[in-house]
Amino acid sequence: MTRNDRWQLLPPLLGAFCAFVVVFALAACTNNPYPDSDNGQRVLYTSFAEAPKSLDPAVAYDTAAHEITGQVHDTLLEYHYLKRPYMLIPGLATTVPKAQPQPDGSVTYAFELRPGALFQDDPCFELGGAGKRTREISADDVAFELERIADPLVNSPVIDPFSNLAGFAEFSARLSKLLKSEPGFKSLPARERYQRALPLPGVRVVDATHLELRLKAPYPQILYWFGMPFTTPVPWEAVEYYSGKNGHPHLADHPVASGPFLLSEYDKQSRMVLDRNPNWYGAKHPEWRAPGATYPSDGEASDGPAGRLASAGKALPFLDRVDFRREKESIPAFTKFLEGYYDTSGIIRESFDKMVKDERLSPEMQALGMSLDKSVIAAVYYIGFNMDDPVVGGKSGDVSKKLRQAMSLAVDVKEYTRLFMNRRGVPAESVLPPGIFGYEADYRNPYRHVDLDRGKALLKEAGYDNGIDPKTGKPLHLTFDTYDTSPDGRLRYQFFVNAWRQLGIDVEIAATNYNKFQEKVHDGAYQIFLWGWVADYPDAENFLFLLTSDMARTKNNGPNTANFSNPEFDRLFLAMKTRENDPERLEIIRKMRGIVEDQCPWIELYHPEDYSLLHTWVHNVKSAGLSVPTLKYDDLDPSLRQQKRTAWNKPVVWPAYALAVLLLLVIVPGVLTFLRERQ
Amino acid sequence: MLAYILRRTAYGVLVVLGVLFFLFALFFLVTKPDDIARKAIGDKAMPAVIAQWKKNHGYDRPLWPGPGHMKDNMLVEHYRRMLTFDFGRSDADDTVILDRIEKGAGPSLSLTLPEFVLGLLLGIGLSLFVAFFRETYIDRSAVVLSVLAMSVSSLLYIIGGQYLIGKELRWFPISGFDPSWAVRQRFLALPIVVGLAAGIGSSVRFYRTVFIEDIYKDYVRTARAKGAGELRIMTRHVLQNAMIPILTNVVTEIPFLLMGSLLLEASFGIPGLGSLTVDAITGNDFATLRTMVYIGSLFFVAGQILTDISYTIADPRVRLD
Repeated sequence: MTRNDRWQLLPPLLGAFCAFVVVFALAACTNNPYPDSDNGQRVLYTSFAEAPKSLDPAVAYDTAAHEITGQVHDTLLEYHYLKRPYMLIPGLATTVPKAQPQPDGSVTYAFELRPGALFQDDPCFELGGAGKRTREISADDVAFELERIADPLVNSPVIDPFSNLAGFAEFSARLSKLLKSEPGFKSLPARERYQRALPLPGVRVVDATHLELRLKAPYPQILYWFGMPFTTPVPWEAVEYYSGKNGHPHLADHPVASGPFLLSEYDKQSRMVLDRNPNWYGAKHPEWRAPGATYPSDGEASDGPAGRLASAGKALPFLDRVDFRREKESIPAFTKFLEGYYDTSGIIRESFDKMVKDERLSPEMQALGMSLDKSVIAAVYYIGFNMDDPVVGGKSGDVSKKLRQAMSLAVDVKEYTRLFMNRRGVPAESVLPPGIFGYEADYRNPYRHVDLDRGKALLKEAGYDNGIDPKTGKPLHLTFDTYDTSPDGRLRYQFFVNAWRQLGIDVEIAATNYNKFQEKVHDGAYQIFLWGWVADYPDAENFLFLLTSDMARTKNNGPNTANFSNPEFDRLFLAMKTRENDPERLEIIRKMRGIVEDQCPWIELYHPEDYSLLHTWVHNVKSAGLSVPTLKYDDLDPSLRQQKRTAWNKPVVWPAYALAVLLLLVIVPGVLTFLRERQ
Repeated sequence: MLAYILRRTAYGVLVVLGVLFFLFALFFLVTKPDDIARKAIGDKAMPAVIAQWKKNHGYDRPLWPGPGHMKDNMLVEHYRRMLTFDFGRSDADDTVILDRIEKGAGPSLSLTLPEFVLGLLLGIGLSLFVAFFRETYIDRSAVVLSVLAMSVSSLLYIIGGQYLIGKELRWFPISGFDPSWAVRQRFLALPIVVGLAAGIGSSVRFYRTVFIEDIYKDYVRTARAKGAGELRIMTRHVLQNAMIPILTNVVTEIPFLLMGSLLLEASFGIPGLGSLTVDAITGNDFATLRTMVYIGSLFFVAGQILTDISYTIADPRVRLD
């Protein structure tokens, strides 16, 4: 073939390519993001923004990971789906164990596991015998997981609460020592390593279905940790097999679990799929009517009218599959929800006014059959003062206390939530959010409403008359430290600066990047900051510990970023922490609340509210307000969904024809003119 | 030519070593190992957990070489890992970086390759068309439209494309990705259209200039005098002779096709290598970021050498020495 011949092939090749492009474009011309084979199936479609970091249950601590680990890992205990305040019910355990105080001051808990419950099918079980695909869950698997939490190589972020188990810290220390002293120890299988470092007297396997825990001192909150995937039974076979070696994935990417769903597809950058687990005890033994495998028949007063009791008594789960698609941007995700391609959604700020009118679903959305589910998240957002700071901190005694109280009296949180959060927040009066024992709806913090006159009077008493610093003769200058450098963030911070300006105080926003901010916090070089805390479990201890001396950020690098230190508060905390929820505990919490109210290390702002939109074909959804698994309770009507999707997503094709005509109108006269001129 | 390639490769190695050094220095100028740990395991992590994480990931060593730790420091380890292609695991989620790259290359190529080929064909085709109708209103309108198209931000194309084609016309999904080819094409159509729209202005303007410059050369006049038709002149003579500037523009881009498109992938939720790089930047994931920068710099050097070699193929008069 000559050079000229090759060039003659160009036009037909181009033609074929153009034909391929047109066929490709026509085949692609639909906005349905799912394969046609999915139509009519009981699949829940939902989105995720952040990829999970790890699915290893001993490590996974982020909400994104819990969205998966919570559904695939069965826990010994779980939360009642509908009741509030949150209530623990038996899961894989047959009952919720009671604390058994011992003469030596320790406390024991006896767990009984459901006999005959199985792990999901997985090739890893061949390690226990050729051809094995699963095996029964044993108390040893729970003990093994607790040992993994203590393992420095696993580096579990929740090692601290489990240090309440007798001998746990010592077991962990022995593992560390062996890792340092024996070069080959690290590469031994986990089971062998733990055998070498035993005993762990706080965890006793009585027999295959009985496990006894011994705590050094009362710590009732330990039960909440058994409602989280950290303490799920993990088979040793999975840890050995999924080591990231021999072509096998790492356990962090391949959970081997026992929950109602199993992870059948995991590409965390784009898609995660859960399918029903046929080995789940609820699926194998629906006749047990176990609390964790049966839809509840009682709940809050609002659940009946909302239709959430229609499935009462039915066996779980209802869905065949859950399909998670990654959506890094919120607007495309919300658009797909409006097109019917996601079944539930949060509400983006840009569309809030269209979706919600007067805190209710707008008539347009109601006409589409949508419903709105609201819940208060077990969290608190606050402005904190660095109590180590010489001006706003505790060392200045009453002067700084009155300054903090005055600043609190200037902040209108209702206006803040209206301007920046579409009112999706309950104004906070204290540290504790609704739904947590110790929260009292009728409590009013005297410093958490706007009273500028009282604020000015307090400032005068503090020596800052009209906000003037007597040392400089100028308005008192403070800094508000943040890592939020976005324009939106600037507006939010400016809101507070403007509020304090009304008192005559000059607050400067010191916005830096996250790393620099962390550096400032680490060095104690900050005055005022805005922070939040989302509960791990629904107990007052999980909020009030944020203000204890042991947790001070600057001294101990703990989460008490205000560096608040009050001996009486610390003493009350210890007393409160070890008590069950009884009237005496409530009284202690009230005293602690009084100290925080008076000392004002925080300006409590709000408890965020979660607004979820549900399509008409979705049933039983109730937001938990906590990071807990709920998908086994959700249900939907796939045929109604298909009908609505078809009606809502007919492509608009006339612009394509219009464009083609326009191109012809532009090109043809030009070509004709050209040919005429050249002739 | 071999000597030339060896010399260019040696310069390239120096460039890559420099890039690795600057990346290390700049990254750790603004980020501390504690920040990487906190980003990876969360703000709630206790100090002991952060310390253990740093130990497990090798961030407990000194940054720079010094007395007593000339070999055992982070800079030496950084070079060792990169030069031996031992990329290790991601700081953000402990996944094997090479696996992530292998997984991400497919989605990236399925976006960048068609966009590149279509962009090239459309750019050259339209430019030939415009050059063919030079000095008519088609030519003038095309230049104005090209300049306009070049002036609009890529982000506007993305948002506009998602709104108009995805949301209003409902032709394609407005974002997302699916590994199966049957559905993947639906997700790729819109980013490819947007990518083409964003790039077509500059392509047409550039190639048109190249072609028009050639059209007035002697060989074209000779061909015309010999009775060659205008279409034949454009496709057989002008296009062939304009290959050097086209190749300069094109060959450098080829290695980068694998690296993906940062903006398109991030905006359309395509899990390619562009997204991986953006995630590494936002997630303080030094291990992944340095790998991507390293591969990017290797590709850059390779692209430069390939461009030079391609000249000799396109024009036998070019000699490399």
